Amino acid sequence: MTRTSTTTYKVALDKLHHYLSAYVPLSKQEFSQLLPYIEIREYDKKVKVIREGEIERYLNIISSGLARKYLPLKNNEITIQLATEGHIIHSELSFHNRIPSGSVVETIEPTVFFSISYDNLEQMYDQFPKIERLGRLLISELFVKKDSRYFDQLNKNTRERFLEYIRTHPQMMQRVPQKYIASYLNIKPETFSRLKHLIRSKRS
Amino acid sequence: MLDMLRQYVSGYVALTNEEFTFLADKIVVRNLDRKHQLVLAGEVEQYMNFVVKGLVRMYFYRGKTEVITTIAKEGELIGSSASFLSGAPSSYYVETLEPTVLLSLTREDLDRIYQQSTRIEKLGRLMTTQFVLQKEEWELGCMRLNTRERFLRFVENNPDLMQRVPQKYLASYLNMKPETFSRLKQLLRKRPPVTKTIYR
Repeated sequence: MTRTSTTTYKVALDKLHHYLSAYVPLSKQEFSQLLPYIEIREYDKKVKVIREGEIERYLNIISSGLARKYLPLKNNEITIQLATEGHIIHSELSFHNRIPSGSVVETIEPTVFFSISYDNLEQMYDQFPKIERLGRLLISELFVKKDSRYFDQLNKNTRERFLEYIRTHPQMMQRVPQKYIASYLNIKPETFSRLKHLIRSKRS
Repeated sequence: MLDMLRQYVSGYVALTNEEFTFLADKIVVRNLDRKHQLVLAGEVEQYMNFVVKGLVRMYFYRGKTEVITTIAKEGELIGSSASFLSGAPSSYYVETLEPTVLLSLTREDLDRIYQQSTRIEKLGRLMTTQFVLQKEEWELGCMRLNTRERFLRFVENNPDLMQRVPQKYLASYLNMKPETFSRLKQLLRKRPPVTKTIYR
């Protein structure tokens, strides 16, 4: 990273330091040792960051913006993840197994990523034992979230999934096109609209 | 028994004898009958288990129906992993299907070992990553494949489980009705699948 970009991104980097320290406390010096391994990537909205068939080179943490991951199918697509500030998004099967990606990551808003390449990540793990712990804790959290989403999909009905989501993600309703949220929750767009109206009439 | 675990672990990280002993010293061997409940929903999972012999399933109740999410056999890990990792109450039940021998490690011991060995911490990271990837693969598979394709993929990858696990459990695991499962099985008998598709 160049000096200018470091200055420009000072606020964002402070945020990243804070974010990582929630898992493992890192001193200023320890954090600055990581910076050479981290790239800052900026994208406009509606840009495909990784396409189907490509090999995922990066693990991305969103600094600002919003992106989604989806699975393209013959006649439609399924949104698998909606990620915003502080979330990790990438094609993980492709990244870890070095195989062509089956899913697509696309920005919804203009988005800034902190991106770590596969090789850099391996090097970080080798050089900094603290990163080994950080990685383990981050991945554990990822697993727990994934499991909880999977459980909800199987266990909750459409209405419950909808209500739970708007309760826990009120800001997403404003930022994400409705059809993507509906797809993410595995709810038909018509049903989603109906449920949304239901809420509105209840409040008034 | 420990050789089996050692072999499994070496697929992730090559541990020295000393490092492996470190891990092995904390391991508890558990001999369990069939239908033994290891964890109930609402409890915090205390163990991560490696199956040396037997079969274990994990499930939850949707209303009165059991929904099976995992079936683990010899050489695989089983436990209510999300609860084990987070310390939050388990959403799932974990229960043996056959008389089972497990090598088990408690959360406290594992955390202590992590503090003392970066290599074992690496092992933990890689194994947890594998959990995440398996979940992703399963989830994408469910979205991409129809009922028949899910059935065929399962049969191809787990011929042994077709013999060992009651059909109703397999149907639940594959998220299909028991009748559908029977029908697909009949089909298989008449015409074994010749197509081999790569799923990821």
